[in-house]
Amino acid sequence: MTTVDEREVSSAVAGKAGAPLIEVRGVRKRYGALDVLRGVDLNVRSGEVAVVIGPSGSGKSTLLRCINCLEEYHEGEIYYSGQLVGYLKDSRGRRKKASSASMCRLRATMGMVFQNFNLFPHKTVLENIVEGPIVVLKEQRASATKRALDLLGGVGLAAKANCYPEELSGGQQQRAAIARALAMRPRALLFDEPTSALDPEMVGEVLAVMKDLAKQGMTMVVVTHEIGFAREVADTVAMMDEGSVVESGSPESVLANPAERRTIDFLSKVL
Amino acid sequence: MSNFNLGMVLSYHSLLIQGALTTLVLTIGSAAIGGVLGPCIGMLRASSYRWLSWVSGIYVELFRATPTLVQVVWVYFALPVITGVQLSGFVSVLLTLGLHEGAYVGEIFRAGIKSIDKGQMYAARAIGMSYRQSMQRIILPQAFKRMVPPLVNEFASLMKLTSLASVIAVPELLHAADNVISFTFRPMETYTAIAVIYAILVLPIIALAGYLDRKSGRTSR
Ligand SMILES: Nc1ncnc2c1ncn2[C@@H]1O[C@H](COP(=O)(O)OP(=O)(O)OP(=O)(O)O)[C@@H](O)[C@H]1O
Ligand SMILES: [Mg+2]
Repeated sequence: MTTVDEREVSSAVAGKAGAPLIEVRGVRKRYGALDVLRGVDLNVRSGEVAVVIGPSGSGKSTLLRCINCLEEYHEGEIYYSGQLVGYLKDSRGRRKKASSASMCRLRATMGMVFQNFNLFPHKTVLENIVEGPIVVLKEQRASATKRALDLLGGVGLAAKANCYPEELSGGQQQRAAIARALAMRPRALLFDEPTSALDPEMVGEVLAVMKDLAKQGMTMVVVTHEIGFAREVADTVAMMDEGSVVESGSPESVLANPAERRTIDFLSKVL
Repeated sequence: MSNFNLGMVLSYHSLLIQGALTTLVLTIGSAAIGGVLGPCIGMLRASSYRWLSWVSGIYVELFRATPTLVQVVWVYFALPVITGVQLSGFVSVLLTLGLHEGAYVGEIFRAGIKSIDKGQMYAARAIGMSYRQSMQRIILPQAFKRMVPPLVNEFASLMKLTSLASVIAVPELLHAADNVISFTFRPMETYTAIAVIYAILVLPIIALAGYLDRKSGRTSR
């Protein structure tokens, strides 16, 4: 069921193997008086899967939104394929906000999948998927539709193209949302707890699509409590708590032999 | 009370019909002003432009915090003192109720936009849409469906508010009634007649709002 077109994904990552595609350095962010991110570091090389775990409120969603330029950050730097996310630096190193057009261009090259799917309820599944390619990438409707149908086939939803999101199960909605993100031909995908809102019997179908993408070399940052997925797919696991990465490394080290008390406590709760 | 003489009042029906027409013109005219102003105000309030959002907020609260009757007499009697321009009663009311509607419609727009889950804006921006594209293509089409019932209700309230124009002698329905009473000395019959006329004008609108509300409750798209 889950064979997303391999050529498309691998063409997006071709020639970039090894280079850090996403680089987060000392990022700090506040909401009013609340320090949500207190110096986060994270490196994701092209073709890698980084899994971010951590308790509720530790800033995982905020970090993803910062990487995708949906949210400002106050200190530190985020680089996405060498480009500073959200800001410009002048010769003296002072930063100012990047133009909204350049932020839109950046977001268009990075896909995001949300916990609550966030499909557009007033549009059919097919319309959801062609929206970005047509409106943002200015593709022709005919070619965008053809590709959207291919992507829907890849996530096993060919028959649901003309349904509205509310007519789909949670798992189907999330697969459609992944297809919507892929339609933009992103160089990286960010997942924010993609299976947390799903009934248990639907978790597997979504994880299967994600594993497929990982196998094809898609660069992914995945916030999830699915430790099994992390163990199987992740190249790096980062444990976040209270706004910073308290421990990171290979799944073997972080999940099997955690060094940090907080990681051990967290794992004992989710396993 | 003994002899309820409606016939005597109805012989002045042309005055009442004139009044009803003026009521309709005032309603539609100020709804048009509010219909242009309100969406702009609502969008500014929902936007992240601090200053514009703040200024439009003051405008809205000013109109929500003062009685409409006071707004009407203020524009008619006090504004000319400040500006030196005396507006006719009709124009004063049109302007006042138009601004009043702008504030209320603005609130309906703001609430409608706010009622859309934040994730919709995130999802739209995440595929690279601009704020404007996200608003036009994703947020507003969803918000507008939720706004229709309150907007129709607001239109019904507006029609009733036009009766305030009688205090500055604009010949709408209530003022026409006062004229009819001065000829017939039949206040009870006359006020009953115009109450019925108002109800005939307003009830279908309220019914429509109720219908739209039930309909939008059935489906989310
Ligand atoms: N828009 C906002 N305004 C104010 N505070 C916010 C906002 N968004 C998040 N926060 C706060 O920031 C902190 C981190 O939130 P975030 O959603 O990033 O956590 P999380 O790790 O994703 O948690 P969860 O597992 O519950 O999704 C929380 O304390 C949250 O209340
Ligand atoms: Mg979260």
